[in-house]
Amino acid sequence: MSLALELPLAIRAFEILLGWSLLLQTWEYLRLPALDRVGSWAIQRVEVPSPWVRPILDRLFLPKPYAAMLGLRGALALALMLGQAGLGIALLLFALALLLLMRWRGAFNGGSDFMTLVGLTGLLLAHVLGLFTEPASAWHVALWYVTVQSLSSYFVSGWVKLMRPEWRSGRALTVFLDHGVYGPLPENSIYRWPRLAMLCSWCFTLWEGLFPLALLDARLAAVFCAIAAVFHFLVFWFFGLNRFFWAWLSTFPAILYCASV
Amino acid sequence: MELTALFIVAYFVLLAVALRKRQRKVHGPWLFLLRAFFPNWQFFHGLGPAPRLWVRAQNTHGTWSLWHPVYPRLPRQTSQLLHNPAVNLALSHQNLVEHLATDIHDLADDGDIAQCVSYQLVARLARDAVQGGGWGATPLVKDPSWTDPTRFQFEVRLLHLGRESDEQLLLSPALPL
Repeated sequence: MSLALELPLAIRAFEILLGWSLLLQTWEYLRLPALDRVGSWAIQRVEVPSPWVRPILDRLFLPKPYAAMLGLRGALALALMLGQAGLGIALLLFALALLLLMRWRGAFNGGSDFMTLVGLTGLLLAHVLGLFTEPASAWHVALWYVTVQSLSSYFVSGWVKLMRPEWRSGRALTVFLDHGVYGPLPENSIYRWPRLAMLCSWCFTLWEGLFPLALLDARLAAVFCAIAAVFHFLVFWFFGLNRFFWAWLSTFPAILYCASV
Repeated sequence: MELTALFIVAYFVLLAVALRKRQRKVHGPWLFLLRAFFPNWQFFHGLGPAPRLWVRAQNTHGTWSLWHPVYPRLPRQTSQLLHNPAVNLALSHQNLVEHLATDIHDLADDGDIAQCVSYQLVARLARDAVQGGGWGATPLVKDPSWTDPTRFQFEVRLLHLGRESDEQLLLSPALPL
């Protein structure tokens, strides 16, 4: 059975998943002003080093312009999902991502913001390079960029764990799960069994560290990506990181495509 | 194709080698705000000391309450896979506490931590916790032991994960509500 992903389908799947991820994030951003009594742009603004950028951001981050900015982001994400995104939309989405990074002191949700930026950079790359070369070649480069970043994230995450004794023994897994946002683990949780914790740790560490092997074959890539989807769901289940699930999922069409060529 | 494969293998080998080397931290205000361009992808990598925020309050009689942790613990729902603003906000607040711990660590000898943005935002978080704020429907402090608070104080402790012992990193002055 061939699981090779052709370029047009890979592009569409990438656009739909990235757009969906952006849409869900935007929906959350729109809810935050009503929930957050801690964040204050009046305090944060001093962290912007450039005195001429600060007044621009002051205006953009007033409640109404900020809400309008998020509304625009939502509409652009929808356009991306519908396959209507050209260079203008790619540029706007990238610029809005930068503004949101500024608003949230560099990141609101850590790694998911970073991976979202990777996806948006890939999108921008495809459209900018498309001005100078065939769109297919431009998308080829863009999807490779996204793939290398996504594979690097798994590879680095796996290998840093492999170098740590607390991960090799499985102890770190139990401790982190115990401190998760939906924690603590019940006293009789199976993840408190040292042997099971060690087995889980080794399975995930090796799977992450070996993820670049996905490029050898499309079928192998499909298996790695399927495990990754389960992994990210578990990360959501224990740590509440729903944005990670969607941000990484949006890179899978790129991985499947690159493993197919 | 062979050349592409060679480049990819070389890239991941170099990455593995780089991970074994001691990494130098680069600081800068723009780098901080735009750090998303330089992700290190090291999630949950080790059991280092974990900063935790604690608060207490003083009532009108001048009596201080017990210390209470402000740490995100929220109920789970499967639908949160699609929409999870309260949990993500709670995680961003915990991240703020971690940034404050880093700022304390990096503070110059003659520096004043109260001038740091992270300190001022954590002070707002602590104040909100004492005033009964929450992450959505979940209160920031579970079962607080104060009534009619007039002042509050916060503390950042470094929890040694796995050993469950901690040490004080910062004690704020008593602050008005």
